[in-house]
Order: sequence, then C-alpha cells, then structure tokens
Amino acid sequence: MSDFLSAYSIQNWLESCPQGYLEGTEFGHQPGEKEPELLIDNDLLHVETIRATVQLVVGERCALSASSGLINAAPDEASKRFLATQTLDEARHVEVFTQRLYDLGVKKDDLESTIAQYANKNLVKFAEVLLEKVDKKDFIAGVVGQNIVLEGMAFSVFEMMLAMNEGVNPKFAHTLNGTIADERRHVGFGENRIGSLIKTHPEKKPEIERMQKEMSYWMLATFTDAFRNNPAPDEFKRLEREAGGEQHHARWQGVDLSDMQPEAMEAVLADTVLKEFKIRLGRIGLEYQTPARR
Amino acid sequence: MDVHDLEPEQFLEEVHSFEFWFQAVEGYLSGLTWGHKPETAEVPQTDLERDRLITVLCNYCVGETAALEGASGLIGFAPNRQAKVFLSTQVADEGRHLEVLLHRLRDLGVAQPEAEVERRASRSILLFRQRLLELVASRDWEAAIFAQNVILEALEFAVFHSHAQTADPITREVLQGIIKDERRHIGFGENELGRRLAVAPHIRARLGKVKSELDHLVLDALEETMLSIATPQDERTRIGRTYLESVERLGLVP
Repeated sequence: MSDFLSAYSIQNWLESCPQGYLEGTEFGHQPGEKEPELLIDNDLLHVETIRATVQLVVGERCALSASSGLINAAPDEASKRFLATQTLDEARHVEVFTQRLYDLGVKKDDLESTIAQYANKNLVKFAEVLLEKVDKKDFIAGVVGQNIVLEGMAFSVFEMMLAMNEGVNPKFAHTLNGTIADERRHVGFGENRIGSLIKTHPEKKPEIERMQKEMSYWMLATFTDAFRNNPAPDEFKRLEREAGGEQHHARWQGVDLSDMQPEAMEAVLADTVLKEFKIRLGRIGLEYQTPARR
Repeated sequence: MDVHDLEPEQFLEEVHSFEFWFQAVEGYLSGLTWGHKPETAEVPQTDLERDRLITVLCNYCVGETAALEGASGLIGFAPNRQAKVFLSTQVADEGRHLEVLLHRLRDLGVAQPEAEVERRASRSILLFRQRLLELVASRDWEAAIFAQNVILEALEFAVFHSHAQTADPITREVLQGIIKDERRHIGFGENELGRRLAVAPHIRARLGKVKSELDHLVLDALEETMLSIATPQDERTRIGRTYLESVERLGLVP
C-alpha cells in the first residue's frame, strides 16, 4: 500500500500540479484570456452560462467539504496527506469557477444569491447524500462517494464541456483542462486505496452500494434538468446559421455533440458516466446498482 | 501592485486565494525535494545526536498532524469562501510539513516513521492535539482558530526558528521552508481574529480562557522537545518567552 500511496505524495503533487500543468496560469487559464463576448452580450447565453457555472461551483464546494472532512477520518497518514492535496485542488476549483462567475459579470455581493437562484435542487440532494457519510466520518463510503461517484461524474462532465468549448472558448477550455488533470488523480486514488479497504470490510458493501444508487439517481435527475430545459444549444445553432460561417463541431465519445438533440446529448453523458461507474466500482469489488427511474 | 494598497475586502480576497498561495510557495519550494535542496549533503552525527533528532522530529510530526487535522476540520464551518480557500492552502502546507518530516525520519534510518512517532510522542503535545481537535469538533470558530493559527503556529514558529539555528544542513532547510508557511498561517489567524474582536470585544475573554488552558501544555511540550535536542536551560527559557510574547504581541487576549 505504501508504494502505491507514495505516487500520491505532496512532493509529486507539487512537481506535477503547481510546478507542472498549472505553471504560468491565472485562475486556471492563460493570462489575458477572456470569455467570448457572445456569452456576455447575448442575454439567453449569458444566463445559461451563469447557470452552468453555478452547478460547477456547487459540485466543487461539495467536493471541498468532503475531501477536507475525510482527512480526520482517514486511517493512515499517507491518505491524510493525499486528501490534503485534494482539498487544495477542490478549493482551487471553487476559486476558478467562482472567478468565472465574476468574469461573466456577477457582482461579488450577489455571489451567494446567484448560486442560490441557479443551483440545481437535484445536484444539492446528490451532495447531501455524500456529505451525510462524511459527517459520520465514514471513510470508505465517503471516498467511494467522493472519489468514484462525484469525481467520476465531474470527470465526464468536464470532458464533455471541454469538447464543446475547445475552439470557441479557449479561456474556459484551459480552465477545464487543468481541472480534468486534477480529477484524474483523485479518481485514481479512490480506486487504489478503497479496493484494499473494501476487501477488509466486506460488511460495508451493501450500505455503500445503496449510497451509489441514491447518488446516481440524483445525478441523472440533474442531467435531465440540465439538458432538457436548456435553450442554449438551439440559440448557438441559430446564431451560427445567421452568421453563415462554418458549423462548430464538438466530438466526444465518438459522436458530434453539435448535431444532437438535448435528449441525445444527455443519453451520451449518462451512458458514459454510468459505464465508468460500473468499471471503477467493479475494480474495487463493488457491484453497480441501477438507480430507480424518475 | 502591492497587496497592502488594496481595499480591505479586496485585500482578503487576494491574500486568502489559491493564486496568492501559488505565487508565494513557488518562490521558496521550487527546486526542493522533500523540503530541501537535492544537493545538500548529510553531515555525520553521533548515535546520540541522531537519536535526539529523531525524538524531536517525531514530536514535530504530532504537531503537524494536529495542524493538518485541525485546519481540515475548520474548513467545514469556516464563515466564508475566502476563509475556506485559505484553510485549504493551509491544509496542503500542513500535509507537506508532515510529509517532509516523515521523509527526514526515513533519511535518518527510521524504517517505520509512523510507529516511531507514536512511540516517541510526548504526553503534552498529544494532549494539546486532543484539546485542539475538541475545539474544532465543537465548531467554536474563534477558539479553534486561536488554538490552531495563533497558539500552535506561534509555538512551532518559536521552536523551529530556534532549532534551525543549530540543526544539521538538511534539517535546517526543511525547517526554514516550514517557517515560511507558518508566517502566512499566523497572519491569517491574527487578521481573522483581529477583525472579529473589533466588532465583538467580548470574545477576548473567551480566548483568554483558551490560552490559560493551553499555555501549560504548550510550555511543557516546548520544554520536552527542547530537552530532546539538549537545548541549554537559558535558551529553553528564551524560547518559552518568545512564544508567550509573540502571542501577547497580537493583542488578542487580555
């Protein structure tokens, strides 16, 4: 175990993250990069961009509370130290996505009310399920919920957003790139550390599987809200048609997202996340539980 | 632009940010491996010197573990985002301190550093850790910040500063890196409590009680640690006075 955990040391983190892929960045992107004017000037796109960014802040605030709360529940020093780096990663994500809200014109005094206004209720429920385990200092359930379920979801969501923003919004694409690099490390730790703990505590499996089922339910409900009630893709297409320029393509998971209806995009994301859950949960000895349909 | 020229709200937004931490640590951690320059060579030590150093480093590890657990626990009930983000940078700092100290123990030939820390930890530092975590668990923001970012950090600052003067070159570099972080942590505690005391002076009496309760644990821990590295009596007294004065100078307690 100690050999694997040495790969997650703070020394490695310093060399790969602040002194590696974040070097020279400013709030996660290249200095001087700005949001496209379209996202500020077009009222509909402006509101939907703020709404989408608020969900990222809500998710990252949950991850910050969970990773910091798990430090005191960690059974060994090396896990505590890895979670210390994850805590700072998550705080950085909170900061860069909050900064994006400011860049989009949200006033500092209006930050909390904006978050309260746009936060998806299902995403808040998703976070509550996880934070209940963290509050109980349940390390195994907490790490599965945080580093497999939450981070697994975030990883795919960020990748999809990256595909949609590359080429049209370099600033946000750069921010997402750094965040994805962090999430990859977090998911890796979850899989490696928890596998051994599940083996020694098989009695925890049913409770953790129930948690995964419940979190998956709220996650899928969040996806449904995010895609089916989102007028932004149609507005982008309308503007592209009007401009008469070349259509922007966003390829991800073998499909072109720019050609798809919102329901189909939702299905691609949900399938990708759930497939990853099954693989990762299987690797740590847990069986994926299908959530109830809404 | 000098951050001290900023308006108070902007100043806090700036100095409590990841970006600020990022710029600060880049300056002094860049090029270091496990807290010291890779080319710094080990100097010969007698068995007694080595054994004393191991004992003192084990006690530092307890202090850093307490700081790691305390800072991470504080995030859960920090009153605003800036405080949460700052404490996250402190969590990573404390995790780094623990890591470099454990690594130093391995360099000194300790095969199982965590077991060695348990074996050699002094009673007073363990009691301090327990009391600090009780304050954090009770979600008493002012008392916990005072115990963590003023008392514990001031103690570590005084002890590490003194030890660095006489330590072997590798241990000195490790301690000097830690001291630079501690300055930032004390600054946060002083600023956070100073602003709260300005609008709620009655908090001062409560902090005074926390200090009276913790002072004897701090001074006992300091005495035990300094004895471990054969610090002369007059120097031990001076470090104890430095700790008391540094807390008093902040003007947070009656």
